[in-house]
Amino acid sequence: MSFFEVSHTADVKIRATAPTLETLFSEALAALMQVLYGPDRNGGEKQEITIDAEDAESLLRDFLSEVLFIAEVNGLVFSDAKIHIRGCHLVATLDGEPFDRSRHALGTEVKGISYSGLVITHDANGYMLDIVFDV
Amino acid sequence: MIDGVKRIGTNEWEVPIGFIPGMRVPGRFFLSESLGRILEPGAVQQLANVATLPGIIQHALAMPDIHWGYGFPIGGVAAFSLEEGVISPGGVGFDINCGVRLFTTPLEYKDITGRRDVVDALFNAVPTGVGAKSPLKVSSKSLDDIMTKGARWAVEAGYGMPGDLERCEDKGCMRQADSSNVSAKAKQRGMPQGGTLGSGNHFLELQVVKEVFDHESAHAFGLAVGQVCCMIHCGSRGLGHQVCTDHLKILEQATRKYHITLPDRQLACAPILSPEGKAYFGAMAASANYAWANRQMIMHAARTILAKTFSIGYDEMPLVYDVAHNVAKIEEHQYEGKHGEVCVHRKGATRAFGPDAPDLPPGLAKIGQPVIIPGSMGTSSYVLRGTHTAMEKTFGSTCHGAGRIMSRSQAKKKLSGREIAAGLLKEGIIVRAPNENAIADEAPEVYKPSEEVVNVVHEVGISRLVARLIPVGVIKG
Repeated sequence: MSFFEVSHTADVKIRATAPTLETLFSEALAALMQVLYGPDRNGGEKQEITIDAEDAESLLRDFLSEVLFIAEVNGLVFSDAKIHIRGCHLVATLDGEPFDRSRHALGTEVKGISYSGLVITHDANGYMLDIVFDV
Repeated sequence: MIDGVKRIGTNEWEVPIGFIPGMRVPGRFFLSESLGRILEPGAVQQLANVATLPGIIQHALAMPDIHWGYGFPIGGVAAFSLEEGVISPGGVGFDINCGVRLFTTPLEYKDITGRRDVVDALFNAVPTGVGAKSPLKVSSKSLDDIMTKGARWAVEAGYGMPGDLERCEDKGCMRQADSSNVSAKAKQRGMPQGGTLGSGNHFLELQVVKEVFDHESAHAFGLAVGQVCCMIHCGSRGLGHQVCTDHLKILEQATRKYHITLPDRQLACAPILSPEGKAYFGAMAASANYAWANRQMIMHAARTILAKTFSIGYDEMPLVYDVAHNVAKIEEHQYEGKHGEVCVHRKGATRAFGPDAPDLPPGLAKIGQPVIIPGSMGTSSYVLRGTHTAMEKTFGSTCHGAGRIMSRSQAKKKLSGREIAAGLLKEGIIVRAPNENAIADEAPEVYKPSEEVVNVVHEVGISRLVARLIPVGVIKG
């Protein structure tokens, strides 16, 4: 399982790979958290999210948009997520900690999650994702 | 140049109908040969996509800072018939009313050279970066008032002077704002962020007027060589971002409901006069008002620091102008031999109304609207004026900035924030940011030269150069 930043002129583009769709979504969450807050993130506080959408791309878009919202208004930084997806229904339990300016001010704000450049593919090797975070 | 694109002027290009299926009007963009070498084919494709939208008038337009965005290209301008046209968040952007304002001071360059204490004081006074919270406690009722009244709320609350509103696009308030279409989530995000700067390419800069190109206009705008000014670039913060996220979902469904065929789902839209279209427009206007109030509050914080530090009068720091560069507006324009109201989308583009146009500040009717074009960190910013040519060619619009040529990932590999800050200091520019990446990400070399971009709009005539300003102190998020 892994993600890395791909060159994109205006925004932040991430490529992630994972064996399952659910672990792919976890990687996308981890990438978002890294862009926002940097790598030093721990757990301790749980938060549950439920999302319904029409297809995998909109499920991911809506999931990450909700994470952005919750992280900001609750002042939480997430380090991990357990995700269950059945069809286009997602339930996630996020694990995080309160925002700590001394450790979490290394990133940049993400304005939104869009379909721009959002591609989820699946082959014999597993799942791959390209996603762009509007910064 | 990309195959199929035709040159129609020195710096003017046309994307003809038929470039892609379904175009209702041609695309038109403004670009020099040298900027053409870094033109992304995807951005031209996006311009052609916009030309397929129902009710689009005359051309799908893009300014010389064109680059790939979501739905519309950044630098995109498109006007739509109110009766037959659509409104699309992709033509506005996530950061509704990201914009910029400039105010002047009676200080000169020698007064602020090497004054790290002033830059530090500004950095401490204006919350920046991820997790930044406002020092103000904004109640739910105040937030509704902010979204309804915009900059006027801030002035009435003591964050400015009444004259500030005259020098703001739409006097800092879109009257069509409807906060009832702003979700509880967006309001939750907006309440703690009033007066915060954000991050990315947002900044507050102390600048000096280095060069004046048009003395009459500079004098009318209140600018003179050697004068210290302050430029503020930021938007509607989490409130605007959430409004865009919320309404994109609604408009995606509306696209299907109204049987609108799109070449790209990022162009989700609805008829302007539909319930969904009106709801987005009202929420977008409310977010725009929040952004104007935000820039007004940040300006107040900066004025307060400068007044105290240099013992100058608050009223000796007038606002030159404030422009939005991510917004949709209902405006009156001449087009195709007619005169009427249209909905103009500007995404990464600035209004540039010419002489005698509506909404010009007192005393500027013969000059035209001031246009503020921020440079990137360490490079020149520009003030221009709007023109009659802009009213004819671009629905009164011009560029908004320079656009990037190097990605953040490349920038971080190539450049260290510390080295860049040290390099800028050698040139007399002091930078404060919450972390080194914020500096590396926004280094001068990652942007197209802003001079090239403004020279194109000057040559085409959609705005004319008035003055060039250079940075001396930079606060970044």
